[in-house]
Amino acid sequence: MKLRVTAALGALALCASLAAPSAPVSAAGDVIVFGSPVSLTGNLTKEGHLTQEGYDLWKNYVNAHGGIKVAGKSYKVEIKYYDDESKNDTSAQLAERLIDQDHVNFLLGPYGSGTSFTVAQIAERKKIPMVEGNGAAEKIFNQGFKYTFGVLSPAKRYLEGILEMARAQKPAAQTVAITAASDAFSQEVAAGAAAYATSHGMKVVYSNKYPDTATDVSSIISALKQTNPDVILNAGHLQDALLVQKGLKEQNVLAKAYGYSVGPDTPDFANALGKDANGVFGGAQWSDAVKYRGAPGFYTSAREYAKAIDSTYHHRADYHNAESTAACLAFQYAIEQAGSLDPAKVRDALAKLDVTTFYGILKFDNRGLNVYKPMVVNQIQNGRLTTVWPQFTADGKPKYPTLAWGQR
Amino acid sequence: MHLIAQDLVNGILAGGILAVVALGFSLVWGIMNIINLAHGAFIMLGAYTTYQLFTAFHVDPFLSLPVSFVLLFALGYLIQRFIMNWVARAPVLTTFLLTFGLALLIVNIALNVWTGDTRGVTTAYSGANFTLGDVTVPWTKLFTLVAALAITGVMHLWLTRSKTGRAIRATSMDIGAAQLSGVRVTEIYAIVFGLGAGLAGVAGTLISLSYALNPTMGDLFLIKAFVVCVLGGLGSVQGALVGGLVYGIVEAFATQIDVTIGGQHISGSGLQDAIALVVLLIVLIVRPTGIMGKATA
Repeated sequence: MKLRVTAALGALALCASLAAPSAPVSAAGDVIVFGSPVSLTGNLTKEGHLTQEGYDLWKNYVNAHGGIKVAGKSYKVEIKYYDDESKNDTSAQLAERLIDQDHVNFLLGPYGSGTSFTVAQIAERKKIPMVEGNGAAEKIFNQGFKYTFGVLSPAKRYLEGILEMARAQKPAAQTVAITAASDAFSQEVAAGAAAYATSHGMKVVYSNKYPDTATDVSSIISALKQTNPDVILNAGHLQDALLVQKGLKEQNVLAKAYGYSVGPDTPDFANALGKDANGVFGGAQWSDAVKYRGAPGFYTSAREYAKAIDSTYHHRADYHNAESTAACLAFQYAIEQAGSLDPAKVRDALAKLDVTTFYGILKFDNRGLNVYKPMVVNQIQNGRLTTVWPQFTADGKPKYPTLAWGQR
Repeated sequence: MHLIAQDLVNGILAGGILAVVALGFSLVWGIMNIINLAHGAFIMLGAYTTYQLFTAFHVDPFLSLPVSFVLLFALGYLIQRFIMNWVARAPVLTTFLLTFGLALLIVNIALNVWTGDTRGVTTAYSGANFTLGDVTVPWTKLFTLVAALAITGVMHLWLTRSKTGRAIRATSMDIGAAQLSGVRVTEIYAIVFGLGAGLAGVAGTLISLSYALNPTMGDLFLIKAFVVCVLGGLGSVQGALVGGLVYGIVEAFATQIDVTIGGQHISGSGLQDAIALVVLLIVLIVRPTGIMGKATA
């Protein structure tokens, strides 16, 4: 009996939620409400908080400067957060709640490719635009979704910059070895690097993958060492980056450059390795050295942005901060251009967006992916992250070739 | 040829650590019939003990081995005495749930204390190596192997020669007969669980030298412990050692498998886990009690 009552109530609730209008939603007063399920607890807590900082910094700036202008009227900005505990399913459920119960106007992405993927499905079903700055896997954008936009450069471009840099040095790098974790993101990164190398006259002398649960990669390193490559690339995550870098030293593998897709740009990398981190290259979405001149309406340079993060949150501006803020900026410019809060009109404005910000260009291909922004290359020099490529954004020269182990 | 020799060395060095990872897990399972899902969390605590001593007081990781052992032994002893004892000899599922809950609790406390940041223990001699012919041997991993062999040796001697060791083995063989001979089973169980945790702590210390730390790191090693101890044979020191070495060597050689079948490229290293599990399957078919396991009635 009790079961039947529960079932009936459940069905009733389902009907109610289906009947509730998902659009158009009216903003309470003159406020545009954004919603975001974000990792405030769980294993991505740290990145989740950096994401939230990026969103909040933008909100505070916009509210202090008169809000967003929509057809001659100024709107304040509000952001409603829920904690998705770094779980994909929870993130999607909370996105649904933000839309159905809290009637948010738009969605800002959660942290990570996994959560972004599940939330993108909700955004699509409810026809509420989402801009995300923290999920780079192309899988999210190959589903034909019309309501999801990503401000990140796609995974396949992560290591291109390092190869481009190494090719331009003297002596120019000619051979490359690629190791990659087996997850979708890392495989996309590795395939992109291999394609770039072969199409630019470099030879891929070794390429192999390991399970993303690997706790020992010494045999891969032994095999790689025999091919004596100029450049050693790793497509993976922080844990494997550390494992590979330690392994390379243990077997005394010498190359002209060592590059990682993820790792060197988080402080954990240099903290964990000390001097052995020096000389390592990393691909990054953004650094505080980039020299883009942004459109008016927000901080126009990376320097100003970094100063604002430092004075508000008391740490060095992280690329997670910047890409999250960039997601907000995409909305800001698109809403202004649409001159409306109608989800479909804002979606169309996002699809047509073409604006340069402190973060770089914001422009999406027909899948909603920002393929127009190049990655930057950072190198750890004397324990400090220095941007060395592309040259027009660099704040230092690459140290190349990398010194022998023990001299770094 | 040189690669074969190098892989053998890589495999043995990795296998030594796996042996210690599995040893405590195997003893607890074999003697108490508890599949301890908190074993990975204990390994993580051992690694963080070393990390804390290394960063705060510059204690060499190898010198922190006894500290990890004693701290984790005490924790394991208390957990058995005051928590696990309530469900002693309960069905496997009950202890399964309890240890799973303990693992969740410990990992989440660790996330609060140390945050999710990844950390490393990098000593001045980290990465130092020597060459034997064409084969490169890293010193840290060699010391780790020596420590692992010493620990398994001491454990073996203690279990076969000491009075407590014999009482433990008696309890595992026939609990009723052991009680009749004056063995206090509650005490023995607490010691065994403490020992399991202490050995996990030691494994954590050894792992921290090559693998970066994170509160969720234990899960990966828990799975390996499971495979190693089934492979080698439950509840015996030799079983864990042989199982660890076989697993390590198989993984190392699997990396070099590289075949192309009908245009489809197959990388052995991407299938490391699968290959190791196939070996496990074969061993279980040929010798259901594991390589070193004895048939039980």
